[in-house]
Amino acid sequence: MANQHSITSADEAKQHPEYLAALKELLYQMADDDFILAYRGSEWLGLGPHIEEDVAFSSISQDTMGHAVMFYEMLEELGEGKADDLAQLREASAFRNAILVERPNGTGHYKENPHFDWGYAVTRFYLYGLFKQTRLESLVHSSYQPLTLAARKMLPELGYHLYHWQVWMNQLAVGSQEGYDRIMQGVEKVWQDAGDLFVFGSKEVDMVKFGLIESGQTLAQRWLEKAKQALDACVLPWPGMPQTTELSGRAGQHTPDLTEVLNTLSEVYRIDPAANW
Amino acid sequence: MSENKQTFSVYEVFSQKSPTASFTHQFSLLAPNHEVAMTMARENFMRREPAVNIWVVKRDDIYVLPPEERPHLERMDNKAYRETKGYGDLQAKWRYHKEQYERKNAAK
Repeated sequence: MANQHSITSADEAKQHPEYLAALKELLYQMADDDFILAYRGSEWLGLGPHIEEDVAFSSISQDTMGHAVMFYEMLEELGEGKADDLAQLREASAFRNAILVERPNGTGHYKENPHFDWGYAVTRFYLYGLFKQTRLESLVHSSYQPLTLAARKMLPELGYHLYHWQVWMNQLAVGSQEGYDRIMQGVEKVWQDAGDLFVFGSKEVDMVKFGLIESGQTLAQRWLEKAKQALDACVLPWPGMPQTTELSGRAGQHTPDLTEVLNTLSEVYRIDPAANW
Repeated sequence: MSENKQTFSVYEVFSQKSPTASFTHQFSLLAPNHEVAMTMARENFMRREPAVNIWVVKRDDIYVLPPEERPHLERMDNKAYRETKGYGDLQAKWRYHKEQYERKNAAK
């Protein structure tokens, strides 16, 4: 990583416009990734395979939402406005999450015929978790100190999430033909979108130059190794290089599914954004 | 679903609050095997309390004292010496016997 001396506070970051712009861009990507995927996780409430898993999955989604809050609060400190507003009042085109996290859980709607895909849930949350771990491990060495501290706090919690999903992967993939098929379908579906995770957008060069994070290319390599080990452990074939989506989530290009998500999750907040919750 | 139920078992969950604490029984849950039981355990029962370690035990693997044997756990109440408090009046007893001995000698 580059030379940069460490920036210890939001106020200090604000004195360097180029640094600030790259930092904000990175924070939006991470906040939006966690926020939208946590929302997708929360849509499983009451629909998990059994009651114990329902509680565990909901708890994991809460944790992930908590991580998103930490990133939004950092943006608030950097002068981007209230964290709640950032999460709930922006238009879809302002969101920087990868396409993978906005994909619906399956067919149907939460309130109407939810025919959600458990194989996709397990593979998406697990493979995204491995990506997030790779990203946080890189952030431990970030030049922005508040980010290194946050990454250190998040890593143990994420480790537990990964343990949870890895057990599910293994149970399903090794347990029966149906489980194996559904996990494989999940992996294939994740693979169609996975490339988008490692696109860090127009500010990537600055992010690397300022020592905020390593390049998407570097992280992709590490993730590929982790993913390979994970699939090997479940005796699943290697699907090759992941594809890149037509739309680039980091550039604010999104599917109509994200708009629907944002309309649903901010419905109440938008009635009266000034109210105290 | 009915097929699923047959392969699920009850697991008892124990946790340890600190490395020197005893394991405490938390609750039970349904799971198809130890691995799944373990992943469910923390999020279901240790969301608020700290835990440094967890045990999950299949309830069927716990050998329980048969109900007809349980009355035999009752003990006669003449074994105070096995309890710590059995040593509490040792000095008083010693004094008593000493006085008895001295009185006997004086009478001679």
